[in-house]
Amino acid sequence: MNKKRNIVLLVFSAVLIAFCIYINSKLTAENYIDIENTSTELNITSNKLVASFTNNEEQADKMFSGKIVEITGRVKEVTFLNNRNTVILYGQNSTSGIICDFDTNQLEEIKSLSKNQKVTIKGVCKGFLKDVVILNCLLMKTNLNE
Amino acid sequence: MNKIFTFLFLMTFIADFDSKSSQFIANQGQVSFFSYTPVENIEAKNNQVLSLLDISNSEIAISMLMRAFVFKKALMYEHFNESYIESDIHPKANFDGKIIDFDPSLKEPQTRIVKGTLTIHGISKEMDIKATIESKNDAYMISGDFDVVVKDFDIKIPPILASNIAKTINVMFKFEYKPYEE
Repeated sequence: MNKKRNIVLLVFSAVLIAFCIYINSKLTAENYIDIENTSTELNITSNKLVASFTNNEEQADKMFSGKIVEITGRVKEVTFLNNRNTVILYGQNSTSGIICDFDTNQLEEIKSLSKNQKVTIKGVCKGFLKDVVILNCLLMKTNLNE
Repeated sequence: MNKIFTFLFLMTFIADFDSKSSQFIANQGQVSFFSYTPVENIEAKNNQVLSLLDISNSEIAISMLMRAFVFKKALMYEHFNESYIESDIHPKANFDGKIIDFDPSLKEPQTRIVKGTLTIHGISKEMDIKATIESKNDAYMISGDFDVVVKDFDIKIPPILASNIAKTINVMFKFEYKPYEE
């Protein structure tokens, strides 16, 4: 009887520990958004995305913020400020663009990008200041010929 | 003939004046904050903070998206945006101020007080923030840190989590400005 109870207790605590480890690993993962395996909610061109925010920020915020978007546009600039890998895309006017913040895993691909190159970037839209801010970015497609 | 010369002179003057704009911009400014308690340390970083600096009147404006703060744990991000800051209602934090006794021509780093209004969670508060301004190659860098009292901004923390979050949060900032061209 005592033995049986011990086994039950042992199994129970093992399950509990496993559960805790699982939850902890889920919560402490550096990139808690698995962008690669999460499907895109909206596809849009960089010009249209910037235009939506400059025309009506409140409405665009409701539509895009927090969503996983796939943006197609042209590269304006690539920067490595503050140890971040950032690709800035052109908007339809010169004042506003799209700031795309990448995690470190695609460093080589980002380094090889050139100005005006057409790219498709997937990421989480965070909102708009002077530029649209996209985090957790992933480079989907690069087109050298266009 | 004389008129043409005057016109040309004026044009070059205007063109020259235009190219030396007094406005500077940083669109990838860095703001991070820290909360130290015996229970846990919480740290978050935002690398897409926007700031405009006008050296003609020493005015500075800063704006950031609360959802662009990156935390180590998903749960911290969730609590911060949904419960404390309420990012759906208050998506941005802003600062508008003036650098006191700022000398744009000074080559060596200068430590100055920035007097202004900080708005977080829809609550505005007057603040004096110490900042270091460095000038290099006709561009500027401003950095510093200050403390924010959580209670001042009407941020409600449930009693069960009160021991996990510090009463005062240390905020650090760093902006690298470049000339602003429209």
